[in-house]
Amino acid sequence: MRILLQPAFILHRRPYRNTSLLLEVLSREQGRLGLVARGAVGPRSRLKGLLQAFAPLLLSWSGAGDLATLIGAEEEKQPAPLPPGRVLAGLYVNELLVRLLPRLDPQPGLFDAYETLLTELATLADEEPPLRRFEKRLLEELGYGLSLECEALSGQPIVAEAHYHYVLDQGPLAVAGEQAGVPITGHGLLALRDGDLSDPAVLPEVKRLTRAALAVQLRGRALKTRELYRARRAR
Amino acid sequence: MASSPLLNRLMAALRCLPGVGPKSAQRMALHLLERDREGARRLAEDLQAALDGIDRCQQCRDLSETAVCSLCADPNRDRSLLCVIETPADVWAVEQATGFRGLYFVLMGHLSPLDGIGPAELGLETLEARLDGGEIHEIILATNPTVEGEATAYYIAELARERDIRATRIAHGVPLGGELEYVDGGTLAHAFAGRRDL
Repeated sequence: MRILLQPAFILHRRPYRNTSLLLEVLSREQGRLGLVARGAVGPRSRLKGLLQAFAPLLLSWSGAGDLATLIGAEEEKQPAPLPPGRVLAGLYVNELLVRLLPRLDPQPGLFDAYETLLTELATLADEEPPLRRFEKRLLEELGYGLSLECEALSGQPIVAEAHYHYVLDQGPLAVAGEQAGVPITGHGLLALRDGDLSDPAVLPEVKRLTRAALAVQLRGRALKTRELYRARRAR
Repeated sequence: MASSPLLNRLMAALRCLPGVGPKSAQRMALHLLERDREGARRLAEDLQAALDGIDRCQQCRDLSETAVCSLCADPNRDRSLLCVIETPADVWAVEQATGFRGLYFVLMGHLSPLDGIGPAELGLETLEARLDGGEIHEIILATNPTVEGEATAYYIAELARERDIRATRIAHGVPLGGELEYVDGGTLAHAFAGRRDL
């Protein structure tokens, strides 16, 4: 099977053999897949500067199954480079995608959301809102979207002023007092539903919610990029 | 002869070298055994001696026969300049091509969370201790211009900034003698962003 000039991003690359690379790629129409880029870091390679994470590429490959062979790469458009301070956020999202997305399961919507996320990371003043929006979208694409419309037991719409406990396999519960689940305000739930996280007050609770939901998907495995964030904060 | 277990072991062992596949391994093994037994013996002894005698320098983490390598111990080097670099091969490249007279710190890699390489694996605690020493006035970040190399450089620059040490990044751009037409867009964008007065 030959795929030509497919929009794709590189999520991760690691050296393979002497001058080759193993790429973990998110493509628009084929989903996540692994590619071998033969001779890509050799002295005469023209692909060296091209095969980088966060750059919108058009990739061509041949072969079927889990690991295909890269046969060509072009830049799709002028890349909006991530500022150095945002690279860690980008690596965090890439780690999420590599850990959580099944291979060869096309999700064009998620690909577009990833593209939007990178642009926002490169341009917005705060990296938290775009990250939360993407996490919410990722959970939806994985089939475990958060329920942000109504209270889980009564079916009543979420009230901004009310307090809830979000129980992961049920949804938000309007119960007072000490409860299992992630405590969150109605305001926070609605902000995440609408993707409008401009109020900095809701960011911590929304982050707790998406993190708890992602932790279930990660089945308790720690994220390496999160350790890096922690090491940075600890100083 | 084709089924000699010792020969098979030797050929398998030679394949640990970069770029050596089964065919080259066979040629090398047969050459050493048939034509150059003396050379083979020397190779074995030197390999053993190098493995026993070469470790990491305590200061810069470069390969060294002594606890502190000759570069770090050289009194003529500028001790206020520290160049942070990814591999020992990069030290060689910088030493041969530039007039850099400061000291080095070799990371032996770059930050790569997905491969489990974090600050501890790169010896950044040793680096922090050196920055705390007060001798260093400028740290030159010469990690590779890849996403991971940039992330590493940024992380270390933050460490330097916290200590009020100047952190500089090597320039990226069009290679000498290169033609703009054939330079990839990312490099060209960097070259334009990093342009300077003439």
